[in-house]
Amino acid sequence: MKGLGHRFTSGFFIVLSLALLIFGSKNVVAVNSIRSEVSNFFVPVLDIASRPFEAVDGFIEWTRQVAIVFSENKRLRAENDSLKLAQIKSSQLVIDNQRFKKLLNVGEGKVNTIAAARVVSDSDSPFFKSVLINRGTGDGVDKGQAVVNEDGIVGRTINVGSSSSRVLLVTDINSRIPVKLASGGINMILEGDNSAYPKLAFLPFGEELSVGDLILTSGYGMVFPPDLPVGQVVEINMEGIRIKLSAKLYNLNYVSILAYDIIRGPVVSQEKKGTREPK
Amino acid sequence: MINMGQDHKSEVGFRGALPFISTLVLLLLMQIQYRLVFIDNLLPFLSLIAVYYWSIFKPRLMPVTAVFLLGLLQDILTGGPLGMMALLLIVVRIFVVRQSSRFLEREFLFNWLVFIVVALVFGFATWTVASIYLKDTQNFWDSFGQSVVTIAIFPVVALCLRWIRSLLVMENR
Repeated sequence: MKGLGHRFTSGFFIVLSLALLIFGSKNVVAVNSIRSEVSNFFVPVLDIASRPFEAVDGFIEWTRQVAIVFSENKRLRAENDSLKLAQIKSSQLVIDNQRFKKLLNVGEGKVNTIAAARVVSDSDSPFFKSVLINRGTGDGVDKGQAVVNEDGIVGRTINVGSSSSRVLLVTDINSRIPVKLASGGINMILEGDNSAYPKLAFLPFGEELSVGDLILTSGYGMVFPPDLPVGQVVEINMEGIRIKLSAKLYNLNYVSILAYDIIRGPVVSQEKKGTREPK
Repeated sequence: MINMGQDHKSEVGFRGALPFISTLVLLLLMQIQYRLVFIDNLLPFLSLIAVYYWSIFKPRLMPVTAVFLLGLLQDILTGGPLGMMALLLIVVRIFVVRQSSRFLEREFLFNWLVFIVVALVFGFATWTVASIYLKDTQNFWDSFGQSVVTIAIFPVVALCLRWIRSLLVMENR
């Protein structure tokens, strides 16, 4: 009788697991709500548990910096000289750019940094690429917002709880990001495939890319602001074009959550113009 | 009969929850970002080791309900499909409990050899479920690599769990 009870319990949980697996993806709202609540509960624990690893990583980085401080200083001095020249040129270009945008009535993107967050957990799975951050709706974070760090884009929020959010990394198989070639402005889509080097898709016919080309966000899709660094082309073959991401997704510490919106200036209509013409 | 009573006495309260807690700790360790480029796809199935170990030695303290909850928690924290790990870990528990009489009488090496098969099948099952769920054939070698790392780390984790088990049987002496 006891054995029968055990068998029934095992059978019940197997059926329940299968039901969750099959119908869980269909009832997204309820599943996401459960996920958020559980994540909110465990985020403080994971936050504390990950601190020693962060400290070790910080110490290794500090040792590395100390070891290269002299050569790095020399390199930075040379870089500083060239940047001073570039700054003079770029300030002239900024003025030109603003003038042209005004003439064309180009909508200016407004980027708000919603919050800075700490990455407390990594899925560490070959099939699902996401991280948990310790900011949620209570901090102004919303679903579908861009997540970046100082190196480039990281991903977007897909499930937001009151004090934690899940970020779908750009390497995940479900990730699609509109990007462009920095030099030519060719628009493409960055497709994650769960590998460390995501693919570039929808390269227009006749256009060419080469290894080393820089890829930036295009701003289409209204999630990522334009011109954020994405990565560099590292492989072009028959299977596709792969890029190495600027952000090190295996070593994320702090990230920023961005909200992006387009603000357009008032359009001067032709009819109005017409009425002002002298009779 | 007296031994059974003493054994049960040591398994109530906090001590009785040690198998669940140790599995939970291993599960949480799986969620931490290790900041190493290669570990991303090769993180061992630590929860599998714990469920396998406790299902052999203390199945009463690792019931199906606990395995289900732990599996579900893993699914939630990894962001994977809900029910995947819960299902696979329950299947492992059922298999081990049915064969437990054979495990208990054998040496550690025997348990490890059986675990090699369990870990490889588990890795293959994970890959199959993930591929079906994502409707895309995933890289099998990532899963195979995870299984191999899990097999390699099994003795270390089993040693820690053995120490925890010693706390449960201490009162028998």
